[in-house]
Amino acid sequence: MTDLHLTTQRTPAGSVLAVAGDLDHDSAGRFRGAVALIALQPGQLLTVDFGGLTFCDSSGITALIAARNQVHEQGADIVLTEVPAVTVRILRLLGLDQIFRIQPVPGADTDPVG
Amino acid sequence: MCGTTDGESDRADRSAHDKDQDQEPGREQDKDSDASGDDVHDAERAQFSALLEDSAEDLYDNAPCGYLSTLLDGRIAKVNTTLLDWLGHTRAELVGRKRFSDLLTVGGRLYHETHFAPLLAMQGQVSGIALELKAADGSRLPVLVTSVVKTGTDGQPLLIRTTVFDARDRRAYEQELLRARKEAERAQEVAEAERMRLHQVLAILQNSLLPPALPEVPGMEAAAYYHTASADQLGGDFYDLFALGDGRWGFFLGDVCGKGPEAAAVTSLIRYTLRAASLHAGDPAQALDTLNAALLERYTGNDPRYCTTIAGTLTPRGGDLHVTVASGGHPPALLLRADGTAHYLPTPGGMLVGIMPRPHFTPATTVLRPGDTMLLYTDGLTEARTADGPRYSEEALHAFAGTLAPAGAQQTVNAMTGLLESFGDGLDDDTALLALGIPAPDTHTGGAR
Repeated sequence: MTDLHLTTQRTPAGSVLAVAGDLDHDSAGRFRGAVALIALQPGQLLTVDFGGLTFCDSSGITALIAARNQVHEQGADIVLTEVPAVTVRILRLLGLDQIFRIQPVPGADTDPVG
Repeated sequence: MCGTTDGESDRADRSAHDKDQDQEPGREQDKDSDASGDDVHDAERAQFSALLEDSAEDLYDNAPCGYLSTLLDGRIAKVNTTLLDWLGHTRAELVGRKRFSDLLTVGGRLYHETHFAPLLAMQGQVSGIALELKAADGSRLPVLVTSVVKTGTDGQPLLIRTTVFDARDRRAYEQELLRARKEAERAQEVAEAERMRLHQVLAILQNSLLPPALPEVPGMEAAAYYHTASADQLGGDFYDLFALGDGRWGFFLGDVCGKGPEAAAVTSLIRYTLRAASLHAGDPAQALDTLNAALLERYTGNDPRYCTTIAGTLTPRGGDLHVTVASGGHPPALLLRADGTAHYLPTPGGMLVGIMPRPHFTPATTVLRPGDTMLLYTDGLTEARTADGPRYSEEALHAFAGTLAPAGAQQTVNAMTGLLESFGDGLDDDTALLALGIPAPDTHTGGAR
C-alpha cells in the first residue's frame, strides 16, 4: 500500500489538487477533506491531477463523485488529468466518463473492457 | 534566605571589629538564652513524665490494641481492658478459665491449632495473622494477631504475649476490593455477552441481506458464494435469484459503495426495490431505472449512496436459456462456454446506479446452452491484491476462466472460491459470486466436467 499524498495549488483558472498514492477506503476521507477546503468561483476549474495515483477503489470513486457534486454547487467544473490507464478503465466501466472530463496519461492503452 | 546570609555576615564583621569590647557581654547573653531554653524543656519533660509515669498500667489496659498473655498451655493469664471491651467479657470470665483458642471461631481455632501454635513454637514469634474472635454476644471481630514467646534467662519459654489489632476496617476494605473485583468480572461478562449478541445481530442482518438459499430452477444449475472481508463490518455486496411468475426468472448481483451499517441499510433498500421493480419492468434496464430513481430520491447531497449492479432475466426456450442483462457500472458477466472458451458479455454505457437523474442503461443479450455457465461477481474479485503485489485484473480473471471452461455453476464457484482463498490477506473487499448455468448433457446433477 502507498500512503496518499495530497497537494493543493491555486492557479488563475482555479485549483489543482495533485493526488499521489492509494485513494481507498482508508484515505478517501482525507481526499474529501482536502476538496472541502477548496473554494472556487463560478466558471473556475478544479483539476485533479492523478499522475501519482497508484490505486483507486470504490471509496475513492465515491469521494470523486462527492467532489464533483461540491464543485458543481459552486458553479465550477472538475477535470481529471494524468489518469492511469487502469483507473480510466474503471471510470469507463462505471459509466463515469459520461459525467467527468477525463484526460488519460498520454499514450496509455485504455481500450474498454470486454 | 538572603536575610539570613546578611545577618550571619553582619555578625561575623561585628565580632571581627569589636572582638575585645563585645566578647564578654555576648557570651553572657548566649548563656542566658541557653539557660532559659533548658528551663522550658525541663518543665515540658516533667509534664510529660507526670502524664506517663502514673499511666504504665493505664497504657497497658487502655492501649489502642488488645493485649493478652497466656501460659504455654494456652490458658489466659493476663488480658487488657481494651480487649475485654471488644469481646464483652469480664476479666474474671477469662483469666485462668479460658484459653486463647477459646476466643476464636471454629475455623480460627483449627487454623490456630494446625498453623499458628506450631509456627509460634518453632519460631518463637508469629506476626500479623488474620483471625476472627468471637465476642460474648456472638458477634465476630476480625483481628490481626501477633504473638511472641517470652523466655527466661535460661532460654526456657515462660509465657506467650499477644497483641490483637482491630481489623474491621481492613476487612471492610478487603471485602470492598473483593466486591469491586466481582463487579468488574460481572461487568466484563455482561460486556462479553453484549458483544456476542451484537455479533449475532450483525450476522442475522447480514444474512437477511442475502437470499437464504437459491431456489431450485428447473433445467438450471445455480451456485452462489459470499465473502466478508471482516467479520464485524456489514458488507455491501448482494445478490438474488427469484421467479418472475411467467416461467421466467430474475437475478441480480451488486456492490453498494461503502461498508458498515449505512451501506447495509442501502443494500436492503436496493434488494427489495430491485426485486419489486423486476416484477413489473419490461427488461432489466427498466428495473435499474426504477432503482436509480429510488436511490436518487433517498440519498442526495454530499453523501451520495450508489451501487454497481448487474441485473437480468432468464427465459427458458427449448433446452436453452435466453439471457438479458443490464449493467449499472458493474463489471461484465463472464461466460464459460461448453466448448471450453471464456469471454465477457460486454455491457457498455451503463452508469453507477444512484448518481445521475437520467442514466442510460442498455440491455445486452446472450443464450446459455447446455454446458454453458454465466458468472457474476463483485469487484472484490478483480480488485484483490495478489501475493505478488499487483491487483488481480479482469484479464487475469478472463485467463483463469479460460483454463476452467467448460465448468458447471457449482464447479465455477468452487474454483473461484479457491482463487479467492489463495489471495489470503490480499482480499480486502467483500466478494459475492453468482453462477448460473445449464448442466452439460452427460450430467444430470452437479457441475459439468
